[in-house]
Amino acid sequence: MPLVVVDGLTVGYWTAGGMAPAVEDVSFTLEKGESLGLVGESGCGKTTLGKALLRLLPPNGRVLAGEIRFDGEDLLAKTEAEMREVRWGKIAMIFQAAMNALNPVHRVGDQIAEAVRAHGPGLGRDAVRERVLELFRLVGIPEQRLRDYPHQYSGGMKQRAIIAMALACRPKLVIADEPTTALDVIVQAQILDEIQRLQRKLGVSLVFISHDIAVVADVCHWIGVMYAGHLVEHGPRDEVLGDPGHPYTRALLASYPTLAGLRRALEPIPGELPNLLDMPPGCRFSGRCSRSRPECRDRKPGWSVLSPSHRVLCPWAKEDR
Amino acid sequence: MGLWRYAARRLVQIAGLFYVILTVLFIVFRLAPGDPVERMVDPSMDPEDAEVLMAQLGLDRPVGVQYLYYLKNFVSGDMGISFHYGEPVAEIIADRLPNTVLLFTSSTILAAVVGVLLGKRASWSKGRSTDTVLTFSALATHTVFLPWLALLLIWLFAYRLGWFPITGMVSEDVWLDPGATWWTRAVDVAHHMVLPLASLFLIQFGTFLLVMRSSMLETLKEDYILTARAKGLPERVIRNHHAAPNAALPVLTTIGLSLAFSINGGAITETVFTWPGIGRELVLAVSQNDYPLAQASFLLIAAVVLLANLVVDLLYAVLDPRIRY
Repeated sequence: MPLVVVDGLTVGYWTAGGMAPAVEDVSFTLEKGESLGLVGESGCGKTTLGKALLRLLPPNGRVLAGEIRFDGEDLLAKTEAEMREVRWGKIAMIFQAAMNALNPVHRVGDQIAEAVRAHGPGLGRDAVRERVLELFRLVGIPEQRLRDYPHQYSGGMKQRAIIAMALACRPKLVIADEPTTALDVIVQAQILDEIQRLQRKLGVSLVFISHDIAVVADVCHWIGVMYAGHLVEHGPRDEVLGDPGHPYTRALLASYPTLAGLRRALEPIPGELPNLLDMPPGCRFSGRCSRSRPECRDRKPGWSVLSPSHRVLCPWAKEDR
Repeated sequence: MGLWRYAARRLVQIAGLFYVILTVLFIVFRLAPGDPVERMVDPSMDPEDAEVLMAQLGLDRPVGVQYLYYLKNFVSGDMGISFHYGEPVAEIIADRLPNTVLLFTSSTILAAVVGVLLGKRASWSKGRSTDTVLTFSALATHTVFLPWLALLLIWLFAYRLGWFPITGMVSEDVWLDPGATWWTRAVDVAHHMVLPLASLFLIQFGTFLLVMRSSMLETLKEDYILTARAKGLPERVIRNHHAAPNAALPVLTTIGLSLAFSINGGAITETVFTWPGIGRELVLAVSQNDYPLAQASFLLIAAVVLLANLVVDLLYAVLDPRIRY
């Protein structure tokens, strides 16, 4: 049984202009111990998807349709109190701009201890302290920094502390939303290695959200490409990177520089994300797609199956390859 | 230690500022209309005697010399003799100051505590009826005209209902009775203090409520609040442990500022309730051209405001670990 099953998930935000469908009809599964990278431009719904998994949408956000099953349990049917058990106890989330995810007025060690205590009632002071120390060792922060405040940490150390905090209750799934975006490239590489190492060592599943397909390619077994609320391509990393099926994935790959490989001109994707309140009825990428056919705009795109585990939301994917 | 060095540096700055205020006050008082001698002496007094009096008070010297005497006397702690009372100003101040401090510290602390707690509640139920009621009451009481509120309270609770005394700080019979214990005396003062305290509290608490509310709403948008939610913490812990300590910081600044306000509001409150404090003394001194007393009261107020701001700055360092001096 897969750890995470997301089926037909649709999430919308109430706005002054009406209901904006930020995520529409997204389905995927994730096995225990595997990692999924979600990529796409800002505004494509990846963060909304991550928050919906933990039911942490802002007050104007609603899950409109679909199902989220975690470890066999229906998360959308849970009460708020039951959800509190799931949060951090089973699913931990590292948020975007994680630099600000630590409360500035509390000591780092205390903030991690708080998570340990919240999900381990009955743990004595010494047991909590021992666990926090263990976590610090796990992510390589020296013990004596336990009593420091967040502002005394460097960016990379804060990120390590947050990873330690995410692992505090031995979650089965960690959702990491742009965890390295605010860091410089060297620290970013270290943190990515760290995440990968811990993910393998502890066998946790990972949903890694990033706008940077190169980062995702480094860390994840699976890649999901999102565009304007749709999951447009989903498959094993090597297949998606080596044989991208969706025109958007190809465009995304062509717009990023690579260190290895041939030197070539980068190709920006023309146009912009469509307005969520005014989507074309058919394929949402049709307005920017170089291979667009007249009917793409009006007819809902169908899936093309490129391999048993690799599917693409474009009926022409096989022809255009 | 950094904190002590910072405090020392700030004290030096404050001393400099205080000197400027000292000088400005000297000039302002010399420019003010009205001749003090005319107030002090009988108009029928003959001019020669009036001159002797002027000489006694030092008012016949050139302004520059007066200024130097003024500084010298201030440094030696001699604030002069009140024209009106004929007693040393320092003694009058020492007599009135504790009354003012009692009234204002209590009202500011009470208003800050209540305002912060209610502001927290309001922000947590943003847009719902609790929030609407709290925000509306805060705005309403905050914008009320203080003398009107004070008179209304006196009329209703002291005059019509007779629950509280109309004026003063003590009942003479209690304080002249040698058998009265300190406890009965304290109760007597508290009884007199209810109405002035209530009016100052009502005027002040709205500011704290509104500042705390908007500061909380800002704080709730922070990532660490989202993280606290994701950690599965109960709402109460998120509110009191994660949001409130961060949101309370701007409230501190408000306390410093509100002290300056409460002192001029204090002049009104003390006058309306005939509370024997510095504020009322200041109003009397100004209206009677009692230079020495008015000067000393102004200086005292300046000193209190400057020191209160220093205390607020130092408290910041205690509450916010990011601030180190």
